[in-house]
Amino acid sequence: MIISLDWIKDFVKIPENLSAKEIGQKFTLATAEIEGITEVGAGLEEIKVAQILEIEKHPEADKLNLVTFKFEENAIKKVVCGASNVRVGMKVPYAPLGVRLPNGMVLEPKKIRGVLSEGMLCSKQELGLEEESHGLMELVADTTLGTSMLTYLQEMPDVLIEVDNKSLTHRPDLWGHFGIAREFATVFEQDLQNRFDKKWEERFTKMFTTDKSPIVPFVEINCSSLGYFGLSMNNVKVAPSPNWMQRRLKNIGLRPINNIVDVSNYVMLELGIPLHIFDRDKIKGEKLVIKQMNSDGVEFETLDEIKRKLIATDTVICDETGPLVLAGIMGGLSSGISDNTQNIFIEVANWKAADVRRTSARLGLRTDSSQRYEKSLDSQLLTRTMYRTVELMIELLPAAKVVGKLEYAGPAISNFSPLIIQTTVEKIATTLGHPVSKENMLNIFRRLDFKVVANGNNLAVEVPSYRSTKDVEVEADLIEEIGRIVGYDNIVPTSPLFRAVPVAYSNTQKFHQKIRNFLIHSSRAFEVMSYPMVGEKLLNRAAWPYDNALSIINPLSNDFCMMRNSLIPSILDTVALNQKNYTEFRFFELGRAYVKNAKEFRKEESHLGVAFFSQSNGQYLDLVNESERLLSSLNVPYQLAGKDKKFSSLVIPGGWMGAHPYEYYDLKIMGKNYGAIFSVHPILLREFKIRGNLAILILEMSAFENNNLKDKKKYEPLSKFPVVEFDCTVVMQSERSISSVLEPLSKLKLKELLSYKIVGQYDISEDKRSVTIRTIFGDKERTLSPEFIKSAEGQVISALSNAGLPLKE
Amino acid sequence: MIEKLNNLFSNFTTQLEALSKQAEVLNLKADLLGKNGKVSEILSSLKNASLEEKKSIGALANKIKDDVQQLINQKLNALELEVINHKLASERIDISHLDSIKASGLYSGGYHPVTIVQKEIEEIFLSMGFEVLDGPHIEDEYHNFEALNIPKDHPARDMTDTFWFQRPDDTSVANKYLLRTHTSTIQVRGMKGKRPPFKFIAPGKVFRAERTDASHEMVFHQLEGMLVGENISVSHLIFFMKTILSEIFKKEVDVRLRPGFFPFVEPGFELDIKCLICGGGGCSVCKQSGWVELLPCGMVHPNVLRHGGIDTNKYNGFAFGLGLDRLVMLKYGIDDIRHLHGGDLRFVSQFKSY
Repeated sequence: MIISLDWIKDFVKIPENLSAKEIGQKFTLATAEIEGITEVGAGLEEIKVAQILEIEKHPEADKLNLVTFKFEENAIKKVVCGASNVRVGMKVPYAPLGVRLPNGMVLEPKKIRGVLSEGMLCSKQELGLEEESHGLMELVADTTLGTSMLTYLQEMPDVLIEVDNKSLTHRPDLWGHFGIAREFATVFEQDLQNRFDKKWEERFTKMFTTDKSPIVPFVEINCSSLGYFGLSMNNVKVAPSPNWMQRRLKNIGLRPINNIVDVSNYVMLELGIPLHIFDRDKIKGEKLVIKQMNSDGVEFETLDEIKRKLIATDTVICDETGPLVLAGIMGGLSSGISDNTQNIFIEVANWKAADVRRTSARLGLRTDSSQRYEKSLDSQLLTRTMYRTVELMIELLPAAKVVGKLEYAGPAISNFSPLIIQTTVEKIATTLGHPVSKENMLNIFRRLDFKVVANGNNLAVEVPSYRSTKDVEVEADLIEEIGRIVGYDNIVPTSPLFRAVPVAYSNTQKFHQKIRNFLIHSSRAFEVMSYPMVGEKLLNRAAWPYDNALSIINPLSNDFCMMRNSLIPSILDTVALNQKNYTEFRFFELGRAYVKNAKEFRKEESHLGVAFFSQSNGQYLDLVNESERLLSSLNVPYQLAGKDKKFSSLVIPGGWMGAHPYEYYDLKIMGKNYGAIFSVHPILLREFKIRGNLAILILEMSAFENNNLKDKKKYEPLSKFPVVEFDCTVVMQSERSISSVLEPLSKLKLKELLSYKIVGQYDISEDKRSVTIRTIFGDKERTLSPEFIKSAEGQVISALSNAGLPLKE
Repeated sequence: MIEKLNNLFSNFTTQLEALSKQAEVLNLKADLLGKNGKVSEILSSLKNASLEEKKSIGALANKIKDDVQQLINQKLNALELEVINHKLASERIDISHLDSIKASGLYSGGYHPVTIVQKEIEEIFLSMGFEVLDGPHIEDEYHNFEALNIPKDHPARDMTDTFWFQRPDDTSVANKYLLRTHTSTIQVRGMKGKRPPFKFIAPGKVFRAERTDASHEMVFHQLEGMLVGENISVSHLIFFMKTILSEIFKKEVDVRLRPGFFPFVEPGFELDIKCLICGGGGCSVCKQSGWVELLPCGMVHPNVLRHGGIDTNKYNGFAFGLGLDRLVMLKYGIDDIRHLHGGDLRFVSQFKSY
């Protein structure tokens, strides 16, 4: 919203010594953010009417002339001029050196092609009157020489302040100049000149006649009306509004239309309450009914000549023929002011904010009017708005007459009881953390129009009606009023005194940090983030079921229309993206998977996904080894298990085609398959156009990440007695897994058997291989006797051969 | 005799010189010093010699024995070294063929830039006694709006800003769900069950149904903070903000508060910091104002405290929200916010840890 400082000065004196920038800064710190300041008409006073005497060619440039002119008797100057319309006798604006032109340019003395120019003859563009001009501005021939352009244009210099609308959402009272003037008065400690008092109002009530009001409003219940005033006037004449009014409207960004429309806009911009003026002769019948449409589908043509479909809950103002105005938003084309309008009906009303907002949002029609009603306006201000309209109407059209009296319909608003909030001087000062005297508080409240009854330091503060529609409700709001005017800048920062308590990351947070640290520093993987939302296209491509996924009803696109129920499809997508640039990489994501839940609507699971990719080398064993090290670094007890038909995986859907038939382990943790490590099936790789080997670890950690998983390592003293190694080589069927040769030894009850591991293997034939096992025997208490060693070796050999693993011949 | 011995030694040195194999050297040694070697042979022929002769020849023979032994050892060592060196030469690798010069693989690892900045900030808050909390992304209307004093008809509740799982105007569903639009949802969740005084932060993902471009994302990160206690003041809020922001930016930061409107705080503020680029003189970053808007904050609205089960007669507090992604982008000069969730390793690998 743009505020004119000139307009503000109708109501309050602004200290002369403040620059526009300083005014903006103070307002930003005390009230609302200023987005920009423009000075209009600056310099116009020093630009004078001049007449051209002589034109000669510039000695060094064809397209330039040396123009001699006078702007006062005996004041003759010469400038270099490039305008093509220049001619002797013509009157033009002349800007002397040092003047700052309205377009921001400052004239400095300078030579143009060797000739010194003493200022400049101006075009309309240079005076800020046109976007683009060709040639000098030609002035009316009989203008007196030396007249300032400010006088010639009947301009007034002004400072335009652009306030950020968002920072005014909670301040309906600031949507007009009068309200802003009150803020200025408070901020700059000046008196507000409030001419809208009882005596002023009486001037208008005296104008009421005993005639029957030509139009009487009726408000139906359940519509959005909060009060509706109507007044009829006769004998108006449509014409352009006076220059001063047009200028103010233009400065603020509104196009002047005619005196009647301009008055309604002017009053809204001044007092913050929108109003609507009907051509009364176009209203059929003697009453206006304010009501809900009650049916869908009626078309209504608004002033902007667009036909709009109304629905049952829209509130409209109707005559006998149907809707004339869309309440609080825009009038209709049919009853608007035209050049021939003679009699008018003025509507000043208040509407429910939410209703106006809903209708205007639905129709995509945001107007100066709806924008204000959305903020919750004050019905107590309606009569003032009406009288100000009448005042201006009579000022512009002295022949205009009020007929009948001010009519009202709607809920009773005359017995308004103001909001009173209790607070104390101490409470305000303590909450600000800044000493403010009681006198200062009372002073600020008074300037802001709050009435205070003080009983010692206890304050009963009466909130002005226009601040209590939704802005000021509780004590905290009063504290803000004092704080912002005192200036938050003046508050000295201090530390509160607090009980010292130890704080630390939660178990889950530590768990995640350990995972990151391990995967980054040990597995040299990169952490990535993918979108928590996915689309059907991706899931279908990954053959990933999504019946348990949650759908967003208003997604931005189909590619992000539901919450991911697993990280796996996103991982495939990320691999497909990156294999274009890298032949080998590893990455992981710590993120959530979201699934439907009958009781709590949704369950958010904490997942880890790790991907190892290489174009040429198998990644599976590397990933399994890395995963084992990761889990043990996290102290998570786990078991690698082959695909288990009895216990289904919690992270891989049954029957999913994407997992490799052999390169697959379930991770069994606390009895459940919370994880899986697998290579991706070539068919799925092909679907994602991935060329290479991809292994994935997926882990659902919700069940144990917040457990305090303790490190169970225990020190054992080193044995003082020697250990004995015994290697033996057995023959096995190649299809059996190599780890199975150790199984019989794990069942052996022999406490001196300290360790058994595989040394190496050798393929003997198509279907047979030999495996060499190293066992280590020892005893902490003694040296093993040769006899014992012999028998122990025998036990190992027989255990192996009993399990179908004969010694190699 | 003496001459014989001297000849023997000089022959030996010539012969040794010519040898190039370990075995030959050992043979030569045996030939000279062995039981039946030439030196023994000479010594055994001494039995008929005079005592004088025995003495001088014996001494010479022993010296020659020692010298031969030493020369043999030297020769053997030299030959072994030669063998090893030869082997090393044949097995030589190109020590400049390092991962760092290989074209197309990634051989390092690293944290996501959001993780880096988030951790940095979390640790600053932890050091000042703030707990770090977390909460659901899929929230109910109550925690996202109602509990934060955002009434039913507030524009923030429109379809346009929020991702919904049910229509917001559907009256048949009592508890409607949505993707949280701010981390402020943790205010009420965090307060529940805590007894003042307490202070916590809550970093995390938030969601807005907003068209995306280089500076707008539908998923981004915020960090909410809250402190509740007795007689908490605006002065305390300024203290914490100034201290923490100075830590984050690693230099003394000037802050200023100005009025800002957010339904869940009263009074509410916009916090500006003095422009770090120009120091307040005015530049393009601060739009010539000398100040940069950084974060919204304020004294917690009593309605919000009540939703959190806090006795508002006794306690009050402050709250604030930080945009993490903006800090990340500021820190690294990232030009497009969409990289953060893009999964492109060309982006992420620029933040490698080693």
